[in-house]
Amino acid sequence: MKKQYTVFAILLIASMLLTACGAPAAADCKSEELFCVGMVTDVGKIDDKSFNQSAWEGVKKAEAELGAKVQYIETTDAKDYDKNIATFADEGYDVIVTVGFALGEATTKAAGLYPDVDFIGVDQFLQTTLVNQTGLNFPEDIAGFLAGALAAQMTKTGNIGAVLATDAVPPVWRFGEGYRAGALYVNPDIEINIVYHNDVGFDKTFVDPEWGATTTNSMADKGVDVIFGAGGKTGNGALIAAAQKGVYAIGVDTDQYNTVPEAQSKLLTSAMKNITVGVFDLIKLSKEGKLPAGNFFGTASLAPYHDVDADVSAEVRAKMAEIEAGLLDGSIKTNVPPVKP
Amino acid sequence: MSQSQSKKSELVSKLTDTLLVPTLAIVTAIVLGGIIIAFVGGNPFAAYAGLLEGAFGSLKGISETAVWSTPYIFAGLAVALAFKGGLFNIGGEGQLALGATTSAWVGYALPDLLGVELPMVIHLPLAILTGMAVGFLWGAIPGALKAYTGAHEVINTIMMNYIALNIVSYLMNGPFKDKNPLNVIARTPLIAESARIPPLFDGLRVHWGFILALAMAYGVWWLLWKTNLGFEIRTVGANPEAAKYAGINVKKIMTLSLGLSGMLAGLAGTVEVTALNYRHELGFSQGYGFDAIAIALLGKNHPLGVVLAAILFAAMRNGATRMQFLTQIPVDIISVVQALILLFVAADAIVRYLYRIKQSDEKVVLTRGWGG
Repeated sequence: MKKQYTVFAILLIASMLLTACGAPAAADCKSEELFCVGMVTDVGKIDDKSFNQSAWEGVKKAEAELGAKVQYIETTDAKDYDKNIATFADEGYDVIVTVGFALGEATTKAAGLYPDVDFIGVDQFLQTTLVNQTGLNFPEDIAGFLAGALAAQMTKTGNIGAVLATDAVPPVWRFGEGYRAGALYVNPDIEINIVYHNDVGFDKTFVDPEWGATTTNSMADKGVDVIFGAGGKTGNGALIAAAQKGVYAIGVDTDQYNTVPEAQSKLLTSAMKNITVGVFDLIKLSKEGKLPAGNFFGTASLAPYHDVDADVSAEVRAKMAEIEAGLLDGSIKTNVPPVKP
Repeated sequence: MSQSQSKKSELVSKLTDTLLVPTLAIVTAIVLGGIIIAFVGGNPFAAYAGLLEGAFGSLKGISETAVWSTPYIFAGLAVALAFKGGLFNIGGEGQLALGATTSAWVGYALPDLLGVELPMVIHLPLAILTGMAVGFLWGAIPGALKAYTGAHEVINTIMMNYIALNIVSYLMNGPFKDKNPLNVIARTPLIAESARIPPLFDGLRVHWGFILALAMAYGVWWLLWKTNLGFEIRTVGANPEAAKYAGINVKKIMTLSLGLSGMLAGLAGTVEVTALNYRHELGFSQGYGFDAIAIALLGKNHPLGVVLAAILFAAMRNGATRMQFLTQIPVDIISVVQALILLFVAADAIVRYLYRIKQSDEKVVLTRGWGG
């Protein structure tokens, strides 16, 4: 009995000593030469195949091309936003990227506290302008417009649909209205069914794949043969149901071919926000001392056709290229306001 | 050997007996966690060094550990108190959410409603007491159902969680939602300055709520071991039949135990709102009500044990950020270590077998089955 305690005590002390020596020497971001970029995720993982991961890929690109030292912290609880941002700021990081709408307030607060650090907030629409803070936003209406234009050309029944989370969130509404505008641009006589999951609260509307699936099924039964699903898990449910019904599905935000494998066989494309590019570009501008203060708009595009590549004719491709160019040079306008009037 | 000496050594041996299994459980879990870290390609020593540094390595770190431990202490005390009364309160999450929501409402809406500016000496206590009262009610309902109808409190506290979380969801999306047109998040407006618990020091987030939590731990100890009510609660917890024959009103005590437990859980939510977030937001609790069960078990349902266990859990949660920052080891490893601790405490036979410790005579009965 006694002997075991002794052995145990020795082990304990030994492990403590080893622990004390094990602390790694931190590379110094406080020095002028080293350019350091830190990223704080929203509550979620770095490899979420969505916003966090796309933003992190942009940061990694800065590591490869700009020689930046990069690091991330995964947030586990909303009350840690301030602390996680401060962890980077206190270590002398030059740029801090925060991902997601929910970190907006904490980011603005930190930008005031740390004027020497540049802050990039992904999907954060800023109300106030600080010289060291940029809100990276995306033209959801353009992404939706492209998706709608493609859907209108791919439908055989002349009947397309969208299954979306709540229209009280501006980006979701802008996807929906852009989709409508794009479809009407191609075919003014097309029938469009846009359904929002407004009947439940904010905590449910993005995480209700069953609703997404049943709504998609009933649409498909009514002859809708292209369905745009947008809004977290709710949209994913719509994509999977569409693939099972054998109708085309269009994903959102990132290339959902990678995030929803169940829908791969019928996934036409995804209306993507080019987060990786936007994050990298802003980091680069910050390094050159030219961070654009205030709101900055990134780009949107459609993902590759993947498995249904053969279904898309050369004619459709040409038309899509023409529309994309038109949106870019401003000759085609989506006419979608920033928020629902 | 003189009598006082033998008494003293008896106390020491009793203390080591109580502390031995939890301590060994923690150490075993940490060692196993280290092996897992090494297995996934990390350096366990660097990881734990980062964890320690994050939790206690700076004033800011210590402050954040205290901030994290505050709801854990309240919620842990809630579960421990119920256990002492022979009841299992799994409803902490709901009691906490309702306490937070209602005290946030008192914090932001009451001054407007009354059309007066309330002084802090009235407003703050009112906000806190509201959260406590609602928590009490939400605990007392399943307590009364158990006492008067025999409906098992485990089922009913879980049911009450769903009811509470859906009520809160409705309020946060509807009547209590911040009406600012730019706000799309389901949360209340900020509470008035007069309803905020002040921080202990300028520039650090640690607040008087932490002191309140420690005081409450002392209060629970005093209640359980120094008052008639506490004696009755413990007696009902140990043996309701005997309590009945001793003339204790078992039904009243059962209702009261779960009520007080709910009150403490409600306080956990209230303090998060009034001292830290200054508003209630949907999904702010990452399962304090459930972590609390682990904390109560680890703390052997003793208020001091609960405080220590809460600080341990808080240090791990808080230090994890620093650990990830320094070593890029995923923060999830902390959940693994916490789960292992719980496993070893709950199934203490494993620890006793590993370290060849004899089973003590005293057997702790946490809750009784359906018939109880």
